Amino acid sequence: MPPPSSCIRGLTRLRAAQPSIACRRTGDASIQTASFSTSSAHYAIVAKKKTISTPPPKRGTKTLNVKKGRKTGPVDTGKPPAVGERKAMRKRVVLSNNNALEVPSLVDLSEENVLDTKNQGLVRGIPEEAVDALRAVEAFKPRQGWSLFRRPAVLYRRETTELAQLAKGVEEGKKTERRIVTGSRMSGKSTLVLQGLLMAHLRGWAIINFPEAQDLVNAHTEYGPLPGSSPTQYTQDTYTANLLSQFLKANKHLISLPMTTSPTLPQPLPPRATLRHLLEIGITTPESSWPVFTSLWAELTQPGRPPIMLALDGLSHIMRNSEYLSADVKPIHAHDLTLVRHFVDHLSGKKTLPNGGMVLAATSSSNSPANPALEFSIQCAEARKMGAKETPMWNPYKVVDMRAMEALKNVDTLHLSGLTKEEARSIMEYYAESGMLRAKVDEGFVGERWSLAGMGNIGELERTSVRMRV
Amino acid sequence: MPPRLSVVSFARSLPLRPRAQSQWIAQPFVRAAPTPIRPFSTSKDSTDALPHISEEAARTAKIKGEQEPDLEQGTPVEEVVKHDKALQDKLPKVMQDALKAKSSNSTPPGSRSYSTTTVSRTGGDLGIVDFSPPPTATDVPGTKFGLPSLPLPQGSHVKHRYDPVVDQVTNLLMRHGEKSVAQRNMALILQHLRTSPIPTINPSRPLLPGAPPPSHLPLNPVLYLTLAIDSVAPLLRIRNMKGAAGGGMALPIPVPLGKRQRRRTAVQWILTAASRRRNKGSGKGLFAHKVAEELISVVEGRSAVWERRNAIHKQAVAARANVVIPRKR
Repeated sequence: MPPPSSCIRGLTRLRAAQPSIACRRTGDASIQTASFSTSSAHYAIVAKKKTISTPPPKRGTKTLNVKKGRKTGPVDTGKPPAVGERKAMRKRVVLSNNNALEVPSLVDLSEENVLDTKNQGLVRGIPEEAVDALRAVEAFKPRQGWSLFRRPAVLYRRETTELAQLAKGVEEGKKTERRIVTGSRMSGKSTLVLQGLLMAHLRGWAIINFPEAQDLVNAHTEYGPLPGSSPTQYTQDTYTANLLSQFLKANKHLISLPMTTSPTLPQPLPPRATLRHLLEIGITTPESSWPVFTSLWAELTQPGRPPIMLALDGLSHIMRNSEYLSADVKPIHAHDLTLVRHFVDHLSGKKTLPNGGMVLAATSSSNSPANPALEFSIQCAEARKMGAKETPMWNPYKVVDMRAMEALKNVDTLHLSGLTKEEARSIMEYYAESGMLRAKVDEGFVGERWSLAGMGNIGELERTSVRMRV
Repeated sequence: MPPRLSVVSFARSLPLRPRAQSQWIAQPFVRAAPTPIRPFSTSKDSTDALPHISEEAARTAKIKGEQEPDLEQGTPVEEVVKHDKALQDKLPKVMQDALKAKSSNSTPPGSRSYSTTTVSRTGGDLGIVDFSPPPTATDVPGTKFGLPSLPLPQGSHVKHRYDPVVDQVTNLLMRHGEKSVAQRNMALILQHLRTSPIPTINPSRPLLPGAPPPSHLPLNPVLYLTLAIDSVAPLLRIRNMKGAAGGGMALPIPVPLGKRQRRRTAVQWILTAASRRRNKGSGKGLFAHKVAEELISVVEGRSAVWERRNAIHKQAVAARANVVIPRKR
């Protein structure tokens, strides 16, 4: 033990060596260097973390294994599907089944016989060229039963004949027919729209189809204000460019027509331009797709051009506010989107088609937001059709979109009811001839399936006779 | 020169029957067909009633008013001695050998002229369902519409309207008691089988004997399903009896399984193998898709389920000495 005097000396020396409090706070490393640079601390070799590496247990010895979740299934270490692959698989449309038998009695529809009333109640094939066009405008839906049969064919039902009569009227009198296709779930509304598009295509009309109205309003495509519009309208450039490319693929008989107007576009048109040149500008530069669409429309409505078929599926989506927001963070009404407005103007009768044509809007029962305005308008239209003296009263406690009410004020409906037993028999014979239905199609069997399908609802009929576990 | 033989009349006397195929019990659609009965009045061999071929041809031609064959021209020796055993023995050796070679190609000795198997009870090649005719109104007192003919056709009983295999697989697919989900999955599986290309059968993994050709399978998805399941279904299971081997060892005892049990084991193997498959898309029908793919790979012999079945069978053969046969009193 040192003497007390030396102890005191030692203590004083210790105090002199102590740095200031500020220094102490910064830590030990900086104390040693006592400079303003921190680089030495930065460049110091980082000590490796100590890893506890125990050798695997000797063979034959038992080890205590208390880790939880040992017995869960094997971990999937493979590469996950590429971006978009899953959706592509989900949205895939298969139009043929090589196992199904060729139906020898199947007659194709053609330009001559497509509007013929003799087709009623018969199953008719869709010619290959028309299949390509309908595929291009996405008229076939992935959930429909096309993948079960050798090639696409449609039942020419009563409502199809009605549609054919309308088309005849259009061709003769250059009328504009506007219809809302209604009906219960799986009653064939989308397929009726497809049949309308098919008729129009075979008769050489121009076809434009909005396969899913939801895609227009759910804010999944880009949008921007249309310059010089008041109140502000919004264009959807990518969607419009895609629509133009669909038009190019589906209307091959029209795209070689020469341009008669000279629109002012961001890109100049070549001399002696055709519709193809116009469309290609819109497809390659989406910024100019809306002006291209308007000038295309101007071209199609010139005198001497064929009638136009405008179709849309899922009407109730475009009869309310869209998911888009304006600059002052207010929801944009669907009717303020240029494409939707274009369609709605023709559906409501505000604009007519000078060369005649048809505007079809199908409602959807499985994917439709609640829309009291649409429901009420359909009720009114049906009452008008029945010749009722007083129109139905609307429920004042329901919030109704007034713009939608205004647009749907005088639109007629085309209601799809169940098949008749003869039609059911005809399509069931087609099922049986394709080898998909393994039963003798006789009166008793048809009646049984017809009643099981809720008095001939065609989707249910397909389900009970082809898709069920039989 | 006119044809010496009328081919048509000759062929008419030949009985044309399909080759007898062993009956496959798992056919889903069964139609009752009348069994052919040979009345006792017809003799077994009616060959002696026929005249010589040339003479018969001549007679037929005479009836039809055609030109008869020239009988003077002679008939080949083989035809002459065809039905005469005594004459055949006196033939030269070369011709006897030729006759023997010919007869070995045709029916084996001792075979009967009529078929000893029943006609296939499935309706046609594709097994198209043929509903039994509506029950005939018999004059049974007290019944307004007569009695139904038994057995009732398939699908007429509400609780057994589906195929038994489909029913069983649906129940095994079910999770948390959600039967309608299982039923939808079952429908998707059958639809996938229906639209998938014709399977190529691996010869080293034979399916059930008497199975229809693979081209018939996609159009009959229930048959496809049944065939896949029944082909990999194990015949036995190994019951390990604790302590029976002595020294704390378990004694493996092979135990035969019943039809439903066999199918259940096979379906469970298939479902486990399917759940290990990778998902390719997204949405609702993914598991059904995977199960259907697994079923196809079972039929094509690619599935690992076959290894499992073979392992069980091998183990059972090794332990066959342990089989307990109950003693009869």
